[in-house]
Amino acid sequence: MTIRINLSRFILFVCLLLGVIYAGIAKATEGYEIVTNPSVSEKTLSKSSLRAIFGMRLHTWPDGTAVRVYVMPDNAPLHAAFSKEKLNVFPYQLRSTWDRLVFSGTGQAPDTVTSPEEMLARIASTPGAIGYLSKFMIDGRVNVLEIK
Amino acid sequence: MSKPSSRTASIFVLLALLWSFSAQAQTLSKLLKLPEMPKLPQNLQIHGFASQSWLMSSGNNNFFGPSSSGSGSFDFRELGLNASMRPLSRLQFSAQMLSRTAGVGSPGNVRLDYGFMDYTFFSGETSQLGIRLGRMKNPLGFYNDTRDVPFTRPSILLPQSIYFDRTRKLAIAADGVHLYGEHRSDLGDVSFQAGTVRPLVRGDEAEAAVFNRQLPGHLAPEISYTGRVNYDLDGGRVRFAVSATQLNMRYAPGAVDGLHSGSIRFTPLIFSAQYNAERWSLTSEYALRHLEYKNFGVQQLTLDFYGESYYFQGAYRVTPELEAIVRYDVLFTDKDDPSGRKYAAATGLPAFNRFAKDLTAGLRWNVTPEFMLRAEYHHVNGAAWLSTLDNPNLNTPNSPVSQHWDLFTVLGSYRF
Repeated sequence: MTIRINLSRFILFVCLLLGVIYAGIAKATEGYEIVTNPSVSEKTLSKSSLRAIFGMRLHTWPDGTAVRVYVMPDNAPLHAAFSKEKLNVFPYQLRSTWDRLVFSGTGQAPDTVTSPEEMLARIASTPGAIGYLSKFMIDGRVNVLEIK
Repeated sequence: MSKPSSRTASIFVLLALLWSFSAQAQTLSKLLKLPEMPKLPQNLQIHGFASQSWLMSSGNNNFFGPSSSGSGSFDFRELGLNASMRPLSRLQFSAQMLSRTAGVGSPGNVRLDYGFMDYTFFSGETSQLGIRLGRMKNPLGFYNDTRDVPFTRPSILLPQSIYFDRTRKLAIAADGVHLYGEHRSDLGDVSFQAGTVRPLVRGDEAEAAVFNRQLPGHLAPEISYTGRVNYDLDGGRVRFAVSATQLNMRYAPGAVDGLHSGSIRFTPLIFSAQYNAERWSLTSEYALRHLEYKNFGVQQLTLDFYGESYYFQGAYRVTPELEAIVRYDVLFTDKDDPSGRKYAAATGLPAFNRFAKDLTAGLRWNVTPEFMLRAEYHHVNGAAWLSTLDNPNLNTPNSPVSQHWDLFTVLGSYRF
């Protein structure tokens, strides 16, 4: 009997813990957008094109400009949220895709930025650039891209 | 360097380097006006890796050096450096230099692993088509393309039934031309690559792989074909691949040689499948390998048989940094003689030289994104993937090698 009670308390504890962790993650990634350099004329993009861009297999925008991909480190909560919610893949899958390209010579890796400030600066200053940013970071120097 | 194709590959590398230097020179001239930290041209990328392993095995079964000795073997080291450059969005130059030490067969000499030019002649929103020229990795199964990069492998040692380290030199890369293409849709992404190539057959390792011993003559490459079709569903949650290759080689007899100028054809067919969830991944591959030896003028070297291999592998990510893996990997050198009994009766050699069943458990710890530590344990029944170079008496009636053996190995690897 005591075991059962302890077990239910334990489950409650785990649920609370997960809830706290989830709330933490949710807060860290609350509201973000996919952003591009203003030179990119696209306002919307299909999910499969977005996947191909972040999978480093689609190298040009329809107007011929080279695509420049910027990402946060694999363990950044925003990167995990973006990968799962927008691309429907897990960060480890993206990493192994990029590694296959880089170490077989058939492609290149995206550029990794170390902070949201750097992400904003690089996307604002690089023609053809694409990345993601928390809403409160976004200003007139970058465009927001809708995913169909 | 006497081979024209390796010269072609070297020219591509040289071109790529020259291109990068000229681009750097332009950047430098700008820097004279704006004093800033010099940086690489925007689309030049340089990556590399370095790894060191230690192996310890039971019995007298040596794998990658004297692993069965008291102190084990440190003879497993992988160093690689690559550069890629995309001067146009449709054009990429890539090259990788590799030094691999793995027992007697791979003494660590630095060589061109791949070096090629890649041009995408059609690129649309949902599809692309392109061509590669130079030395490319052979598209075999899920792992051959990056088999020497520890970070891309599921374990320290790839499943030896399919990715034999004994015949790696034949399988790893070849000089020639590849066509590739891809089509993306909501029903999944289909991609392919197919090539006409000349295999890399020079050296003791290739000879040991083909003949199990060194001979007075040498192997010469013949036109060969390689191809793979991949199907990825839902961004790679489910992955399928079918790879087929036909490797053709000729034996050029030495001055004093009992053998005629025979031919060898190796035709592996590999089916691959993978399921990726957040915490776990399941992978399985099956290979059917057709081997034909003809016109050697010797009965023992007139061969036509099929080998069979498969493995099941499960990986579980306890945290993003810690991954556990288990695998069961089976190799039959001749699928019509899985126990090796017919072979033993015909040759007097151990039957267990013709199969290997390997149960593996391993751990991977990503200490940092750049540094990884791994440990794994293999319990093996059979000796089919042991090398005669590390085990010189493997193919003698008094082979010192044990049928049931264990292998423990650890690896540290750095990348950038």
